[in-house]
Amino acid sequence: MLKKILFSYQNKTQLIVAMIGSFLGFTFLITSIHYLIRVNEFGRGEEILGNNTVIVQKKVSAYNSMSISKTDFSKSEIDNIKKQDFIASAEPIVSNSFGVSLQTDSDLVPYFRSDVFVQSMDPSFTKINAEEWDWEEGDDFVPIVLPRDFLVMLNTFASAKGIPQVSDELAKSIDFKFTLYNDDKKKWEQVKIVGFTNEVSAILVPASFMKYGNNNFPTSTPSKITQLMMRVKEGKFGDFENFMDRRSLSSKESSMVVGKLKSVAGTLFSVLIGISVITVFLAGLVLVQYAQLIISKNAYEIQTLLRIGYAPKTITMALTKYFVVVFAIITGLSILVFAIGKYFIDDLLVQGGIHIDSTFTFMSFAAVILAFIIYTLVNYWNARKGVLKT
Amino acid sequence: MVLKHRWNGCNRKIGTVIEYYPKNKRMKITFHEVMPKPLAHLQHQSKSIWGAHFALETGEKIMLNATSGKGKTTFTHLLSGLRKDYNGTVFFDDHDISQFNPSDWSSWRRKKIAFVFQDLQLFPKLTVKENLELKNNLTHTFSEQTMRTMLEALEIEGKWDAPCEILSMGQQQRVAIIRALAQPFDWLIMDEPFSHLDKGNASRALELIDERCAELNAGFVLTSLGDQHEYDYDRELKL
Repeated sequence: MLKKILFSYQNKTQLIVAMIGSFLGFTFLITSIHYLIRVNEFGRGEEILGNNTVIVQKKVSAYNSMSISKTDFSKSEIDNIKKQDFIASAEPIVSNSFGVSLQTDSDLVPYFRSDVFVQSMDPSFTKINAEEWDWEEGDDFVPIVLPRDFLVMLNTFASAKGIPQVSDELAKSIDFKFTLYNDDKKKWEQVKIVGFTNEVSAILVPASFMKYGNNNFPTSTPSKITQLMMRVKEGKFGDFENFMDRRSLSSKESSMVVGKLKSVAGTLFSVLIGISVITVFLAGLVLVQYAQLIISKNAYEIQTLLRIGYAPKTITMALTKYFVVVFAIITGLSILVFAIGKYFIDDLLVQGGIHIDSTFTFMSFAAVILAFIIYTLVNYWNARKGVLKT
Repeated sequence: MVLKHRWNGCNRKIGTVIEYYPKNKRMKITFHEVMPKPLAHLQHQSKSIWGAHFALETGEKIMLNATSGKGKTTFTHLLSGLRKDYNGTVFFDDHDISQFNPSDWSSWRRKKIAFVFQDLQLFPKLTVKENLELKNNLTHTFSEQTMRTMLEALEIEGKWDAPCEILSMGQQQRVAIIRALAQPFDWLIMDEPFSHLDKGNASRALELIDERCAELNAGFVLTSLGDQHEYDYDRELKL
């Protein structure tokens, strides 16, 4: 009966407009938060390098070839790069100055031996388990991360020999051997592959092994720092790219593309979140205004209800319940539309070669539930104030 | 009995003590030098209740007789908590009504004091049935049959499903009276309730009111422009 008295004779146009506004705001909010989270997660766990991490080197030109300019980094150059505000951290990649070759040491694969180039980097840049990524003299094996190109080469060789090709998992179980040498001596060390990388061209070894090799098998050619490991701050890949152009630096394009894509998509989704929050806020204001209109239009009815003994709380709850249903419809619809939209968006991304986690994100739901709670509380306070004032 | 109650973040005395009233105790209303501010500048007669100390004793049938502009509606609104612009104090038993908050008032209006307002305060879009049920659902006082019988007694039984907005003022007054009776009360305050009724209907309405008051051992105050409605009141108040 209270609902009939308070809501039956109202013009609902304003309510419908506000509901559409809120619905759009809620839908954009849940969608943008969901995809912002997923975009930020994109690429995680696939590579051994940390997020937003790239390897840079100087561009090789004719001047380098003629030894007019250098391709290695000086200490002052490294310090200068570290000072840039878009760089979270930067450290040199250490290369070997000792002779090293890799050979197979297993019956599963044919004998294969090649001189190789090894590098080590600060462990903070990798996602390899710290316990796995450690070596001390006397250990059973040296853990290494193999460039995937190297495995491709090994498989090409196997295929030429008519031997089955080796998968990532099988490669990890194959025994390899390093031969460390200089003009005076040589030593063998057992090797185990603990991971693969598309981003680094050399075999990665723990820093302790690199130090051991450089100290115990020194050659006349000292190692130079030709590559740097850098972590770029979130959303700063534009600044970083400009800096690289100015300083004639280059990086592997794939890692840059992912970083740039994340920067652009992250910015877009952040803007969309901002617009959604404003939309939710403005639509909320219109709904509050509509509730105030209901209260002022029903001043006589509310006054009469109070005079015949209805408690202010009962009338406030009747007003609040009506709008809770309205908000629940808005929230439910926006979640439903998001779920349907997400199915198509995820499908489009997969068709475009972008595989993101397809599960729902808790935070996006939490955001709309929070908006629903805020709407309800504001409406309750508004109704209570309006009823007591009548 | 005075309780401490939390309201708007502060502790203060309130009047929501109705639940603790002894079942058979009937409320007394006391006026202590009450003077509505808009009437303060007027010259009131010596027997006027304004500015005097007096009480409405349990179960009394009282007529408040005065010409227009003397404060009959002010008196009703003051007792219903609609007006607070007065000096002096009004007590419901030992509770100062100026201390009541909106929730307190709703309890008193629901359980201890009923009103027939001059402007009736019906819901015009609702039918007679809905208007009566709106109150009765709150208090669970009468059955539908009882309410129909009361309408019959006042000769408007055929209006059960008619919206109040199409009823005459006299018919609306009778609906408002029945609605006021559809609750427990110690006092029934009526502001010119028969102004649109003929003598016969007024008499029948007053008979119904008297019957209900007797049933509840309650009193009433009826304001009038001078017409006694052929009723033997216990007391007449002057303004």
